[in-house]
Formats: sequence, C-alpha cells, structure tokens
Amino acid sequence: MTAIVRRRLLLALVLALAVAAPAARAQESAAPAGALSEAVQKELGAVQDLLARASAEFEGPQQSRSIVQFDEIVTRLEVLHRQGTLPTRGREILSTAYELRARAYYNIGLQEKAADSFRALVQLNPQYSVSKEKVSPKVVDYFNSVKKALVGYLAVSSSPAGAKVSLNGEFLSLTDFFPLDVLAGEYTVEIAREGYRTETRTISIAPKATETLQVELTRTLASAFVITEPAGVEIWLDGQLRTTTSGTPGPELLEVVRGKGLDPARASGRTELGNLSLGSHNLELRKKCYETVKRQIEVPEARDYETEGIKLQDSLASLQLRSDPPGARIYLDGEAMGITPKDLDGVCSGKHRIEVKHTSGKFIQDIVVAKDESLTLDCPIRPSLAYLGLVAESAAGERVAPDVEEKLIENLQKVATLNFLPAPRETVDRVLESEKLTRKALLPGGNTEPDLVKKVTEKLAAALEVQGFLIALLPGEKLQRTAVLHLLAAGNTVPDTWDVSFGESASYMRFLSAVDRKATLYRPWTGLITVDSSMFEGVPVLRVVPGSPAAQAGVQPAEVLAAVDGKAVKQTSDLLAAVDAKKAKEKLALQFKGAGGAARALDVTLADTPQEIPLNDPSLLYNKVMMDLRQQVEGYPGTETAAFARLNLAICAMHFGDFAAAHEHLLKARSELPARPGLSQGTALYYLGLALERLGYKKEAVDAYRAAAGFKDATLFNNDGPSVAPLASRRGGN
Amino acid sequence: MILRRTLLLVLLLPSLAAAQNSPEDQARGLLEDGRTYRKDGKLKQALDNFQTIVSGFPNTSFVDDALLEIGRYYLEVDRDVAKARDAFEQVTKRFPQSDGAPGAYYYLGRLTMERAAAPADIDDALAQFARVQRLYPRSEWVPRALYASGLAHRKSGRLAEAAEASRRVALEHPSSDAAPAAQFELAQDLALSGEFRQAMEEFQQVRNRYPESEWAPLALDRITALYRLYGAGKPAFALDAAFSVGAGDTLKDVRGILMTPARTLWVASDKVKSAIPFAPDGKMGPGLAGEDLQSMTLAANGDLLVTAARAVRLGPKNLQTFAIPGGKPGETEPLEKLEAAAMTPSGSVLVADEKKKKVFRFDAKLQYQAPFPDAKERQVSRIVLDGEGGIVLLDRDERTVHVVDEAGKPLRTIATRGPGYELRKPVDVAVDGFRNIYVADEEAGVLVFSPTGALLTTLGTADVRKARAVTVDPAGAILVYDDKQQRILRFK
Repeated sequence: MTAIVRRRLLLALVLALAVAAPAARAQESAAPAGALSEAVQKELGAVQDLLARASAEFEGPQQSRSIVQFDEIVTRLEVLHRQGTLPTRGREILSTAYELRARAYYNIGLQEKAADSFRALVQLNPQYSVSKEKVSPKVVDYFNSVKKALVGYLAVSSSPAGAKVSLNGEFLSLTDFFPLDVLAGEYTVEIAREGYRTETRTISIAPKATETLQVELTRTLASAFVITEPAGVEIWLDGQLRTTTSGTPGPELLEVVRGKGLDPARASGRTELGNLSLGSHNLELRKKCYETVKRQIEVPEARDYETEGIKLQDSLASLQLRSDPPGARIYLDGEAMGITPKDLDGVCSGKHRIEVKHTSGKFIQDIVVAKDESLTLDCPIRPSLAYLGLVAESAAGERVAPDVEEKLIENLQKVATLNFLPAPRETVDRVLESEKLTRKALLPGGNTEPDLVKKVTEKLAAALEVQGFLIALLPGEKLQRTAVLHLLAAGNTVPDTWDVSFGESASYMRFLSAVDRKATLYRPWTGLITVDSSMFEGVPVLRVVPGSPAAQAGVQPAEVLAAVDGKAVKQTSDLLAAVDAKKAKEKLALQFKGAGGAARALDVTLADTPQEIPLNDPSLLYNKVMMDLRQQVEGYPGTETAAFARLNLAICAMHFGDFAAAHEHLLKARSELPARPGLSQGTALYYLGLALERLGYKKEAVDAYRAAAGFKDATLFNNDGPSVAPLASRRGGN
Repeated sequence: MILRRTLLLVLLLPSLAAAQNSPEDQARGLLEDGRTYRKDGKLKQALDNFQTIVSGFPNTSFVDDALLEIGRYYLEVDRDVAKARDAFEQVTKRFPQSDGAPGAYYYLGRLTMERAAAPADIDDALAQFARVQRLYPRSEWVPRALYASGLAHRKSGRLAEAAEASRRVALEHPSSDAAPAAQFELAQDLALSGEFRQAMEEFQQVRNRYPESEWAPLALDRITALYRLYGAGKPAFALDAAFSVGAGDTLKDVRGILMTPARTLWVASDKVKSAIPFAPDGKMGPGLAGEDLQSMTLAANGDLLVTAARAVRLGPKNLQTFAIPGGKPGETEPLEKLEAAAMTPSGSVLVADEKKKKVFRFDAKLQYQAPFPDAKERQVSRIVLDGEGGIVLLDRDERTVHVVDEAGKPLRTIATRGPGYELRKPVDVAVDGFRNIYVADEEAGVLVFSPTGALLTTLGTADVRKARAVTVDPAGAILVYDDKQQRILRFK
C-alpha cells in the first residue's frame, strides 16, 4: 500500500468516524425519552456496582488499583453529564468517584492528578466538602486549597425572605442565606417569590471573593385574611376552591375575633387567601348545612387585606317521612335515622338521598330541600326486583349478549311499580357458588331441586335486599332476536316467563304493563245482585247480600233498577261500571221502578269487598302478584288486609301447583280471616280442603270441607260470589 | 364435460338442500297452512295438508298434531266416526307424550259420549276425560276435558256432578276457551236441579265475565225465562198486544206452531197446506208444502220435522214414509195416519200413528225397530224432546203427558188432574230449556207445569179462547195459536 493510499484510507476512516459519532449521538439523542431513562437507569445501576467494587478496592491493600475503576465510572457518568441526563444520584456517585480517585492519586503521590480530580469534583459540585473525620487532614487541606482556587461565595437576602435564588437557571437556595460556595464565574442571578415580581441581577464571582446581594421584592399580588364562624368553610374564589378555613384563633386574635362579631369558640383561625390578582373577585364561602355567603372583594393594591369576620347562618330543613306500610328503616345519605313514621329536624339543606327499607321492599328518592323548608314525603314501599344477568345458550347468543343486556336494562328501568336494580355480579356469584349453582340452574329445565331453588332465592333476596329476580335467557334454538325474561319471586320455584324482541321497544312496553299491573285486593261494593232480563227497561234485583250497603240502604229483591247516578241502566254491566268508577265510602244514587211503576230513589254508601286473584289467568304475572301480596302480609301484620293477602298468596301457590305452600298460607289465613258473610274463614277452609285433597290427605280434606260447609254465608271470588256451603257440602260427602 | 357437470351438480345438491327448509320446518308450514285453510272453510285443502304431514314427514314432531286435525275433520265434517276414532287412537298409541295426546283423549271421550247408548258408555267417556286431567295436568285440554265431563254427567242425569265439573272449569280455568261454555252449563245444571235463583246468578256471570262470548245472549234468554217463572214469586205472563205474525189463510186451520232457537216461528197451516217460516222481523220465508199437516218438532241436531198424515219431512229435503211389518212375513204395512214424529239424539225416529194407536221406533237408517215405549195402545198426538234426554208424549185420550227416556223408561208424568188443574182437551205440548212443560188445552187454555208436574201457572180461556197449538220462545215467552181468534198470541 502506498503512503498516499494509506493517508486516504486514514482520512476516510477519520471522516467515517466523524460522521458516525454525531450520527451515533444523534441516534442516541433521537432515542425516545422513555428508552433513554431506561438506559440511564441501567447505566446507573451498572456504575453503582462498579463504585462498590472500586470502593472495596480503594479500601484494600492495593488502593491504586481502584483508580482504573474510578476512571471508568467517571468516563461513563461524564457522558451522561454532558448529555444533561445525569440524575442526582448519578451526580452523587460521580462526586464520590472523583473524591476517591483524587485521594487514591494523592496517596500514591500523584498530586497533580489528585488536584485534577478535585477540580473536576468542585466544578461538578462547588459546595462539596471532604469529611475531616474520615479523611486525613492533609488530603482535606489539599482539597480545600484546590477548591479555594475555584470558588467564591455568594450571599443573597431579600425582603421579604423566602425567595428562590437561581444561578444561570439552576436553583441555589431560598433567601435569606449565608455565603454559599459558588464556582467563580459570571452568573445571572434570579430571585423569585410568588406574588412578587422576579428580580434578576448579573454578578461576577472571583475565586475566594464573596458577593452579597440584597434585593427588595416588589409585590404584585395581594392576600386576604379571613376568619369565619364556624371553621371548616370552603373559600371559593371566582369559581375555584382556594382554601378551607381551619383551626382556632390564637390568643392574640381573640379580641380581634370578638371585634368582628364572631364567637371565638366557634371561629376559625386566620386563614390566608393568597396570590390575589389585582381587581375585583367573587368570593363564595360554603359549608354543608350553612347558607353560602357571597361577597365581592376589591383588590386595588398588592398588599394584605383583612376581611371582616364572616359568620355563616345555619341552612337547615326538616323532613316528615311516612311510609306505606309503616315501620320501615330510614337512611338519609346512607346514615340510619330511625323508623317511619318519623320527623327529622336539622337536616342540612341541599341534595339528599332518602332510602326507606322494609322487609317487603324499599323506597328510594333523591330530594333537594331548601333552608327552613319542611318537607313531608310519602314513601310508598315498592318491592325490589334484582336483575341477575343474562344467560346465552349458544355462541351466537354470547356474541350479542352485551348489547342485549344493555338494551334490556335500559328498557326495564322504566318499570313503575317495582324498584329495578341490576344486582352486583360478585354478590350473586358468591351466593350461587356457595350452593354450586349457576344462573341457568335457577331456570326451568335446569334440573335443580325445587327446595334448593327456594333456598337459594331466599339467600339471594337476603343478600341483595330484594323481593324478586329477573334472569334473561337467549335461547339457542330461536333466531337471536328474542330474549326470554324469567321473573321469579324470592322463595318461589317456578318463574313467569315472557318473550321480548330485544330490538323493539313495544315488546318491552307490553312486559312492563304486565309487571306494573298491581294485584287488586279490594274493589268497591254494593251487595246488590241484579240480573239482565229482556222483560224490563232496567235490571231486576235478584237478591241483596245481608249486611251489605244495599241492604243497609233498604233495597228489596224484585225491585227494578232503572238508573244509577242519573244514567239509565240497561244491563247489569252498567251498574257494575258505575260502582267500579267509585271508591268505598262514596255514594251511589239509585233509582228503582217498583211493581206498579212507582219510582223510588235510594242512596247507597259503597263499601269494599275483598276479592280473589283468579286461579289461572294467562295475563297475570303471578310471581309479581306474590311480591305485591307479600308486601301486604309483611307490611300490615294482624290486619284483615294481610289476611286476605295471605288467602290470595295461597291461590297463587295453587296456581304453581305448590299445594304445600298453599296449605301453609291457608292454615294461617283460616284463623286470621273474619267470620262474616262473604270472603271469610269458610272460604279459606274450602281452599284448604282443595289443597289437602291435592296433597293426598283425603280424610283431612273432607274435614276441611265439612268445616267450610258450616259457614253458611261464606263465598268464593268476592262477597257477591257463589256460596261455599253447598260446594263444600258436596265435596265433604254431605 | 358431462361428467364434470354431473359431479358439480352432485356437489351442489347437498348445499341446495341445506339452503331449503328442513323437514321440521316444512311440516310446521304445512300444519300452519292447514289450520288456516280450516279456519277459512277450505276443509279439503286442510285435510290434504294434514295427510301430507303424516305420509310425507313421518319423523317430524308434527305428526301428532296432524293426526289430531285429521280426526277432527272426520268427526266434524265427514261425520265418519270410525275414521275419526282411528286417527285419535293413533295419537294416543304412537305419541302418548306429545302435545296432541291429551286432545286425542278428549276427542275419544267426546266420540263415546255423543254416541252413548248405555251408562257404561258415559263412564268410558268420563274415563277418557279423567285421563287428560291426570296425565297432562298442565295441558290446555284439561279445562275442555273438565267441561266435557260436565256434559257427560248431565247426560247421565247426574246434575250435581255436572255442576261440580263445570264449576271447576269456571273456578280453576277462568281464562280458558271452555270457561264461558262451562259457566253457562253450570247455570243450566243448577236450573235443572231446581236451584233457580242460583242458576240466574250463574247465567248472569256468563254475561258479566264473558260479555263477548256466544253464550252471553243465550244466557240473557235463560235468565229472562227463569225470571219470568221464578223471579218475582208467581210466574207472570201478560199478553203482548203489539205482537202480530202472519195473516189471512196462513192463520187458518193451524195444526202446529214451533219457535226455533234462532227465533224463526214456523206455522203449519192445513189451509195453505204448508209449514211457513216467519223471521223475527215478521217476514215470511219459503214454506214446506204438505198435505194433511199434523205437527212439527225439532230434532236434537236442530233439523225441523214436519209430520203429515202419510209422511214426515225430515229436514228440508228428506220426505219419509214409514211402514211396519205386516201380518205375514215379508209384508209391510204403511203408516198412513201419522200424528207426530220426533228424532232422538241417537238418530232414532219415533212416529205416532193414530190408526195403530201406537208410537213406533225406527233406527237411524229408518229401519223399523219396535213400538215405543212399549206395545200398549195409546193415542199419542204429540212427541217433543225436552233437550235433556227426555221424550215428551202427549196422550190425547188419556189426557196425560208422559216423559220417558230414549230407552222408554218412564221419567215423569203429568196426570189428567192435579192441584189447581184438569186437562180437559189437551191438543199440543211444548217444552222450554228447563224441562217445564206447556200444554195447550182447547178447553182450559195453556197450562205450564214444572218438571215435577206441579202447575206453575195457567193462561186461562179468558186469555186464550181455544188453544190449538203452543210453543215457547228462547226467552220463555209463550206463543199460542187461538183457533177461535185465528191468531197467534204471545204472552210475555
């Protein structure tokens, strides 16, 4: 190879290196920040290990061997330092490395090298000092002599103190501070404090010289000092929460507080509202249960302002809570407050959540009360229905399940006579898993023992505080447009089912109508039995139930009813419609045509008749009916209402073929029902006979029928219904 | 190339087939279409569909439904009992767990009940109905079977059991399609048991609870009829002065009048030699001509029987003469002095001959059977069915009314005289829906008797000068032809 070629090769190599190095640096610096800090972290970790080894070497018999290691540490960390990525920990490691290298050099007599290291150390950290306790005085002196040649001193004070001092953008200390070691050189000194104008000075610090700066800071923002009664008041400035008053007034402020018209025992400490810009501000002082105070404050100058004491007035209301049924537990914003009916005084004004819970259901409402408002709230208890989730029977169903569920919940929230609550998944899973069941196992076809279904539903009801459940099923065999809703009352074993097309709102409306249909236990009643006949204009009275409103008004059989409330009666349904349009205790004006054409007018005051739920009515959701009936039983124990509800619960149980449950209900109803004409003990005994017959207890059934036959005036369906006695006589073998 | 095409077709066919409906879907479609055809009256097409399911899709889940529909067709349309029975039995034997099985048992019970000739047949029918309730307790056929049990009990005369069964339908299945009919039948059972007030209440329940059903207007008629007789103590009938039907010769020499359930009034006038129908609005319809007309009755299936001296018109097109065996073997003797005729629920025809002084029974094929109810001579001038299995015979000479069952067993008798009445010259008899008997007596007017033979009321000669024929409308109003006034009078 000729010399020219060698030179050209070398030039090419140098050029290549020159291009590669910046490229490498550019590549490095172009690396994402996250990657760099990870690399830095890794490097720091490695260097730390190296320091440990080097320090051990330093302490060992061959101290000079540590110099090479310290060299490496310095080289590697200086790279980071030059890149500006050396963190504080890295600086400490580098400082330590410089010190120990310097001492190592010093100890082997290479004082210049030691001085170089010390100089580098001081340039890195001008305030660094070598410990006299650990290091030989000679080394310390040597270090100090090196340092003295490099550093000067700077002292800064400001008025007010507490300002941040930075040298060339790097933070140094807070004023006021004594002279601090600073590398000799030219500096721009920044003195900054919030609320004050930042001051800048240029200084030159010579080695060993001390520069002192005293700076008057010019205030740019104001402060206001607030004392409130009570303490704990939020101070909102221009719509932003700035601070909250706290503490108590110190002894020096007691007179001041009294002077402001406040009670020192209740007042807050003096609370600063700092950094107020000049101009006008809207101040709001807020505290729960107190009236918000609004003020406008003017800040013309940047100074401290003392405000007058601010006393917040109570903002309280009162609630009178009544529930139907009574005896429900009251929770106000989650806190137990007693049992209905209850008057609550001293309720903070504003928004609250009222929950009234009864074993038969609950009432939930969010209210807003104003100061001094007295709010009476009727809290009708509604049964609660927990939505347990959706079961998909096919992979296609699984795919659409989330969308279907969202639509279901959205539409089912509209139910009016129940509280509809999506059940917490974990709670439901926990209860089901404890019995090794799934949601599907609760549905028909799940092959689960009825007693187990009953047990689990009762457990779920207790855990969720609900009275019934809804599970949706996406059947496998149908096109995925239909969900089957299963509605199951707690403690029952057979659900009501209803198909909904989950994309059609009308489909849900029909279901909601069925759910919202409330079981009617009573209807208005006259006791007047008429029949239709083409012999008359009007309807002849066939009989009058003894003791009924019609009997009390003096209506006689064979009279012909011509008009009700002034409207002509052509058939019995006209009379029934007129009665249904009224309520118990209202009057009905009847006009009769006697046998000779003589007219007679009578007023009948309506009463109520209890009535039975039909045993099989496809339009009824019997599980929902049971939830309503249980509310009556649990809400009004010992009353006739509860007794008739229990009779109807027995009928619902018979609807499901659960004659054992029906038997249980009827045993209680039998003694709770009245013994008067109409629906009564005889009615319960008749149904008891039916239930016993279905359960296979023939002898006991006959006994029940015979007992029922003894109630000559007992009826079925309602107080006007067919007589129990002849039916029971026949069944009892009389 | 051809082979390639063939192969391609073979490969395509399975996917084509898969793209079409499955056998289940096809069978379902045929069933639904068949039912639509049936509803629209296209019965033959319906039958074709159902038979296609049985023969073409024998492994689908719709065969039982199809067989049930085929059975119904044979029962209700063709009236082929044997074929109907065969179809139903196929369901019960081959598909005992299917949805169609309870329906098949129900229809088998109905077949047996409607053709029952002996108490054992009724028991068989009841067993079929009980099977539906026992084996398929949640089936929609249970209320229908219970209702049919009620009808079976009533046919046996067991009114209490009939009422019980009907009551169960009303109580336990108030929304079923059988409920309105069951409620009606319950009321009817009570009325027949003599519990008139309760019957009226139960008829009223038909109107209150099922106002749109076909039973509601029928219930109104029943209530009116009952109330007229039992509602206000004494039965009350007053002349309906506004009533007028017919005119001129149609009201001369009237031999009989008959009101049908649809309220058509037939007037048999020997003057015009026709039985003429008058619609409820009074409009006259086309008559049935006949020489020497004697009387009219309604058969159990609603057909009109018009008796003339030599023949009986069985329905609009069937004119029948009758003969009995003569003195010698192979000889027959025509009956030429017929006075009355009736067709029983089992299809037998009873004819009363004045000359022979007997009533003769002919079977459903009009083959002579025997004298009825026995061989004793009696001058029966009227034969009427009471709608509950009873056959009412008016003996003109003895001046009595006998009620017998289809076997000839005596059930009740209205004697010539009794408390408050005497039959002097009874000429006609009618029965209402509650087995009350109305006797037209030329010399006494019209006498109304309860089923037990107690006199309920009389329309005396002050009201009816010469009662010659009597009938009752569905609401219990009495129509009587007064020969003296030559008018049909209505008492409501």
